[in-house]
Amino acid sequence: MKSISLYRDNGTWLCRVHPFTKLMYIAAAILCPPILGSLWAYAAAIVVDIIILVSAKSLKRAKNLIIFSFTIILTIFIIKGLFDAENATPAFAIGPAVFYKEGLMKALRTGAVIINMLLSFSILVLTSKPEDIADEMERHGFSPRLSYVISSVFSIIPQMMGTMDTITDAQRSRGMETEGSLGKRMKAFIPLITPVVTSSLINTRERAIALEVRGFGGKGKRSYLRTWQKHRGDKAMTISLAILIILASIWRVIVWLI
Amino acid sequence: MEGKNIFRTKFDVASIVLIPACIGINYIGKLFASALKLPLWLDSIGTCLGACLGGPIIGGICGAANNLIYGLTTGDSITLIYALTSLFIGFFVGIMARAGFMKSFPKSLLTALVAGGVAIVISTPLNIVFWGGQTGNVWGDAVFAASQAASLPLWLSSLFDEIIVDVPDKIITLILTFIILKALPDKLTALYDADDEVERLD
Amino acid sequence: MAYIEIENLKYRYPRTDRLALDGITLKIEKGSFLGIIGKNGSGKSTLASAIIGLVPQFYKGAYGGSVRIDGLDAAKVPVTELARKVGLVFQNPFNQLSGAKDKVYDEVCFGMQNFAIAPDEMARRADDILKRLGIYEFRDRNPFDLSGGQMQRVAIASILVLNPDVIILDEPTSQLDPAGSEEVFRVVEKLRESGITVIMIEQKIDKIADYSDSILLLDDGRMIAYGSPSEVLSMDGIESHGVLPPAVTRISRKLSIRKPDGYLPVNIEEAGPLMKGRIAFRDISDKSRSTGPEMLRAEDLFFHYREGLDVLKGVNLSFDARPTAIIGQNGAGKTTLAKLMKGLLKPSSGKILFKGKDTAGATAASLAPSIGYVFQNPDDQIFKPRVIDEVMFGPLNIGMAAEKAKEKASAALHMVKLDNAMNRNPYDLDLHERKMVALASVIAMEPDVIILDEPTIAQDDRGKDMIRGIIKELHKNGMLVISILHDMDLVALSFDRVIVMAHGQVIKDGSPREVFSDSQALMEAGLELPHVASLARALGDDGIKLSEEEFLSSCTFTG
Repeated sequence: MKSISLYRDNGTWLCRVHPFTKLMYIAAAILCPPILGSLWAYAAAIVVDIIILVSAKSLKRAKNLIIFSFTIILTIFIIKGLFDAENATPAFAIGPAVFYKEGLMKALRTGAVIINMLLSFSILVLTSKPEDIADEMERHGFSPRLSYVISSVFSIIPQMMGTMDTITDAQRSRGMETEGSLGKRMKAFIPLITPVVTSSLINTRERAIALEVRGFGGKGKRSYLRTWQKHRGDKAMTISLAILIILASIWRVIVWLI
Repeated sequence: MEGKNIFRTKFDVASIVLIPACIGINYIGKLFASALKLPLWLDSIGTCLGACLGGPIIGGICGAANNLIYGLTTGDSITLIYALTSLFIGFFVGIMARAGFMKSFPKSLLTALVAGGVAIVISTPLNIVFWGGQTGNVWGDAVFAASQAASLPLWLSSLFDEIIVDVPDKIITLILTFIILKALPDKLTALYDADDEVERLD
Repeated sequence: MAYIEIENLKYRYPRTDRLALDGITLKIEKGSFLGIIGKNGSGKSTLASAIIGLVPQFYKGAYGGSVRIDGLDAAKVPVTELARKVGLVFQNPFNQLSGAKDKVYDEVCFGMQNFAIAPDEMARRADDILKRLGIYEFRDRNPFDLSGGQMQRVAIASILVLNPDVIILDEPTSQLDPAGSEEVFRVVEKLRESGITVIMIEQKIDKIADYSDSILLLDDGRMIAYGSPSEVLSMDGIESHGVLPPAVTRISRKLSIRKPDGYLPVNIEEAGPLMKGRIAFRDISDKSRSTGPEMLRAEDLFFHYREGLDVLKGVNLSFDARPTAIIGQNGAGKTTLAKLMKGLLKPSSGKILFKGKDTAGATAASLAPSIGYVFQNPDDQIFKPRVIDEVMFGPLNIGMAAEKAKEKASAALHMVKLDNAMNRNPYDLDLHERKMVALASVIAMEPDVIILDEPTIAQDDRGKDMIRGIIKELHKNGMLVISILHDMDLVALSFDRVIVMAHGQVIKDGSPREVFSDSQALMEAGLELPHVASLARALGDDGIKLSEEEFLSSCTFTG
């Protein structure tokens, strides 16, 4: 079954790092630059993201994740560069269009925020299995219902996608065209989506029963099939990252006070 | 159901199982819309259904969990920021549904306007903070560019951008939700009825 | 005190006004095997739900009387607690998976985690049960990638690891093909030997007759009969409750063969000694010959989903007006062939001709007025909130005027006996009725050819009877009926021509008698004889008897 998760176990060190450590890294990568405020901090964060991804042989896959954002970033540059309210200092001109320094700097910052965010998240997304994240959350005191929701989304979607193909066949068999003008396609939407939605909602009833009869509704203690032994490095990393965020905050406060 | 507490929520297994189904429906809606090349997102049908069946709290959870799960696992981390928008859409659609505003077609249009309004109010500030006011949608951003060129204030340009993108989408989404709700059997809707008690026959 | 005690149980689902259970009183002893039979909607599943407390705790509604499991009140003790004593396995294998685990092993352990069973004990039980059910080799596979029969065994394993005293099997094979059903029944046999209390609801009456210590017959929520298999299945007028006794029982009744205790035999083991040597058969023979002009033709048809893996390897077939069954194991290429004829797939080479015209350029939608296709699962197509609108969808799509579409739709619904469900929500109907809605929605388009994919799955004896009537009527109206089937009894009774497929090729083509006489071909395709034929065979017949009537008219019994 084709999963929608982007996780692949490519055997590199990053796949064995505990997901919570990666979450801590994301927190640090996303929080530190705005706390510090400098564009260089963003640059540094992005460089660290890239180094980690390269060392885990995952940069290429990460690239696929961020590439879609380039058009948005480009339009941000164009619109801010041309029209931003604070624009005062012309930077360059293409024909009659004059780009201003203030707008471009703003766009640069926005672009850096986006890229940094996408890259740091891709570290978690590409190298941690969603079911593992859910299991670990449950083991650390989150509700088993929450981890159930997370894990089951990943099995429900491929199932629904399989059904979708059959439904398309069934409705075409009854003379419904799925190609053609916008009006035709709009009309096709309801016969296609209603069966998959309805049957997946109806299936929830049986699924709920299946869970009830296996004791899922109970509030008692639970046990776990396996436990993820955290590596020594996980702990050290987590603490260092926390310290990094605290140091950045302290620096910020000091700068304010002075 | 009306007249009772609008926020009353059942947290039984049936409601928990409803949540991933709704999140899946959101995904399928988005997939179908792009497969049929429709100019809409249609990625909140599940959230709206969850809200109508399970009430505002379940609706809110569906919305927020949707964005958190996709954001954290499919690499679309930008979605994370809009968890807040989805949460409030689910919440308010749930309130409208419990107040009877999904019972007829005209009423459901009103719910659509509320959902669109909520999306605008929550998303616009997020757009400004994170993306300098744009939505990333071609049509919306064209309007944004035009109003920026006309020296309108940033928040207003961003608001226009958001309206263009979200209001038509929410209207279609809630029309679809309405149609699907109509097709759902009593057997199923009875399951989420928070006020049902067992009656004795002896 | 018996392990399960049910006292005057009454129950009504919410928002309905009919009692689904009405005055059930029953005691079930530990270690026994109880079979529950009755037509669809007779209250079998509701009774199962009541034993594990889902009725009324999960479904709500109105409840009276009492159910006690080992002294616990099933109406009050939470289902998750009762689940330690009673396990439930139901029809749909997909929906029984927790949906949260991507390995069979983890899936099986899901319930044990909820009951806080220690990890080493969990591993011990999981290994043991997986091995016993023959699914140990799948432990690292994704449960959703398994076949129906394998998935259903995973579902049974997931319950057995919880060590319940009772296991309820609610039509565990009704949505499986014969191979899958056999896998599950082999497991049921093991359960029976293990001494666990089993309550099994099943339409396959021969199995119930074989396994059960006692049988409960329900109709309209009421107990009609309760006793030993012979006692219940020998009952006069049992057919009026929608239950067809095993072929051997029916034939014994006609021949007045009774066991010393006065009851009819219910399986071959019981009947053999009473009949063997005293019964002689005459041979019946016939040949299938084509009738009428050619409707559909497949010429040198090849198809593959992936390069190098041919699913169809050169199929040549010509179809005339005879009702035709296509049989064979899963993976033989039956569905692929059907989809190619419908235009849902395009051949990799070869062609398909409808009334002499190549269909290569036609889409499935444009073929709709000529070739109809009824899918196995009705829920893959139903989307309208009213039955009549659902059935009118196809006719309107192919350009019928609204008036005419309504007329055709009403006629089709009349044919499937759903006249009075016209304005109901299809999803409020039961699965077997929804299958009829889907069938009607294709019949209403009045195609020249209609392809039915497993029409009898989920149908009870009454439903199967109705399908036989429909096939006959469609044939009379000049329609070519082609059906993919696993139900050999229906093949024997309703079709004039049978095509046997195996590994992408046609290995036999002829009348049902010709096909069932060819034991070589049956073996190669992994198929079994229809029940009546296999009874005759066991009694020394070398020919093929297709129906009860044929059996009776061609045998001489010296009593």
